[in-house]
Amino acid sequence: MLRGFTRKFKPLEILTEGQVEEIHQATLDVLWQTGVTFHHQKALKLFANNGCRVDSEEERVHFPPGLAEECLRKVPSSFRFKARDPKNDLLYGGNTVYFGNMPGMQTVDLDTWEPQVPTRKENYDGVTVLDALDNCHFMDAYTPYFGFEDVPEVMKMLESDAAKIRNSTKVQGTGYANDCEVFSIQMSQAVGADLIGRSLPAPPLTYYGDAVEAALRYIEAGFPVQLGVGGIMGETYPATIAGSLVIGNAECIAGIVLTQLVKPGHPNMVDCFTFPANMKTGAPGFGQIGISLLHVVFNQMWRNYGIPIYGNADTPSSSKAIDFQCGYERAVSFTINALSGANSMHIYGGLHGELTYHPIQSILDDDIAGMVGRFLEGVTVSDETIALDLIEQVGPIPGQYLDTAHTRKWWKKEQFVPKAADLLTYPEWMQSGKKSCLDYAKERMEEILATHKVSIPLTTSQEEDIERILNEARKYYRDKGLISDAEWTVYMKTLESPDYPYG
Amino acid sequence: MAVEILENLKRALMEYDSEAAARWARKAVEVKVDPIKALDALTEAIRQVGDGFARGELWLPDLVGAADAMQAATPVLEEELKRAGAKRQSLGTVVIGTVFGDIHSIGKDMVSTLLIAGGFEVRNLGVNIKAEEFIEAIEKYKADILAMSALLTTTAIEQKKAIDALKEKGIREKVKVMVGGGAITADFAKSIGADGYDPTAPGAVKLARRLVGK
Repeated sequence: MLRGFTRKFKPLEILTEGQVEEIHQATLDVLWQTGVTFHHQKALKLFANNGCRVDSEEERVHFPPGLAEECLRKVPSSFRFKARDPKNDLLYGGNTVYFGNMPGMQTVDLDTWEPQVPTRKENYDGVTVLDALDNCHFMDAYTPYFGFEDVPEVMKMLESDAAKIRNSTKVQGTGYANDCEVFSIQMSQAVGADLIGRSLPAPPLTYYGDAVEAALRYIEAGFPVQLGVGGIMGETYPATIAGSLVIGNAECIAGIVLTQLVKPGHPNMVDCFTFPANMKTGAPGFGQIGISLLHVVFNQMWRNYGIPIYGNADTPSSSKAIDFQCGYERAVSFTINALSGANSMHIYGGLHGELTYHPIQSILDDDIAGMVGRFLEGVTVSDETIALDLIEQVGPIPGQYLDTAHTRKWWKKEQFVPKAADLLTYPEWMQSGKKSCLDYAKERMEEILATHKVSIPLTTSQEEDIERILNEARKYYRDKGLISDAEWTVYMKTLESPDYPYG
Repeated sequence: MAVEILENLKRALMEYDSEAAARWARKAVEVKVDPIKALDALTEAIRQVGDGFARGELWLPDLVGAADAMQAATPVLEEELKRAGAKRQSLGTVVIGTVFGDIHSIGKDMVSTLLIAGGFEVRNLGVNIKAEEFIEAIEKYKADILAMSALLTTTAIEQKKAIDALKEKGIREKVKVMVGGGAITADFAKSIGADGYDPTAPGAVKLARRLVGK
């Protein structure tokens, strides 16, 4: 099992007890008064049979407060995710914090910072880099790239999932579109791993049929269901943080009621992927401080409910380049999310929004993960760390601590040394050719790609299963007319490459 | 027996265990292990630590720990060497110290350790060393190189004083002078008449080799 990091101190809380209660009551009011739309007949029937007031015409469900609270209590406060390699299992919940990655639609040119379609090899290499990074504990859906060169739109998710299964043994998540989760679930089952399933309501207050169907499929497969709410404050959510919290929580609870009515005690986790609006462009305001304010209160509420928090929205930057803005937006946002009690966070990748990604970004993010993770572990206070005897022994000048066994034993435990940061003295830096963290990250990427091997390669029969499932999906979408003749011709050619599936 | 002692000496150094290093050095003398071989074993071990440091796998506390163990083991072996009238092959002898008024030892100790690892015989005088103390040591150990460190801008000038004192004594030509430390620049080194300067510890070893023509 991956230990991740343990937050060893009280989380940051900014709401008073009274405010927590006020938010909770308002959330219940929204669920009962306003209700949530579910475009899914089976779900509507289930809700009606369990005491909800259902408006069939509008497909809107009004949840009685008692039912909502009862279902909240049924969600386990912690659970285990099985990885392909047991040493990468995750024990989710409590004070444990794991770090995962964010997607990029495309890769990015490191000189021009323009987006580019990644090649198949770049996608597989991207997975290898994430597999090698110590502080990356899981990989999310659509990552590292959402599809790659010559892959038809409908096959992108599955090709992306297959790459992660092949080149990594870490826990992974998937999305749903055009029933692709059916095949994703099969691929994970073929290699004996759990999948982070997700169901995402559309803001405000609406679950479309595919989100419900996906949740039902994950529940049936026994995979935890992450409820990811995400609106834009001032556009699809109220402009206020409290209002956005209430509406997002109502959406989460609606999904929890669905899950717990289908299978009481099934694991859920909640995720807040909400952004302030960029009021110049209308786009999400990636990297803004409002995200962190919302995270702090979201995390406080859900820790109170005892439901694991799949932290999100802290990664994407508004910057187009791996630069100062990208660095400060991420560092502030990660730190606050971690301090306020998220159980996992998406730290790796995701340059401009989710539009671009580059492995060297992840290598730099691994250092932020290490710093934030080390901070969470807090300060060890013991006779040995207080070091009274040693202080007495060393005394004033000329005493010093550099050559003591105590220093050698403790300094690395107490500190975190980033792997890609420029830590040289001025003269050394000049001699190095003025290398920056980007240069070091590039070097580290090359080293990883030259040396890293996945801990457990797929067996021949697992590989055959993955390819068989992919072929079934290809046929399914081709038969449905979702892959055009032109797409099909190009796609089939890539499958004949001697380097397939890796290049 | 000899092989076992040499291995233990190496291990003591690589585990930064000064007590064990001194113990195994005494044992080496006691059972008449060739002191040159014993010193070579220590040098080989410290070279490995120096290489690990250069590769970024080991850190300053490791380097200093190894240097301490070396310092603990060498006197008894050198005593034995002297008694036997033998001499060890080295690239040259370096007298090193931090100048008067300055008690910063870390950079100087890094250079000292890497010089030992690089094959030099090093006499580390410590910190707060006056010009006359440097001169005394140069004469005593027949040093090929004087290496002086100064971290503070206010003490850098002590390096000039030492060089001037060498001139007054008429021994400036007998010894190469290299300077370093946070306060020193190449221009400053040139202005005070030093033979060489390098801003980094590994660079200082290369410089020392160049100064002795090896």
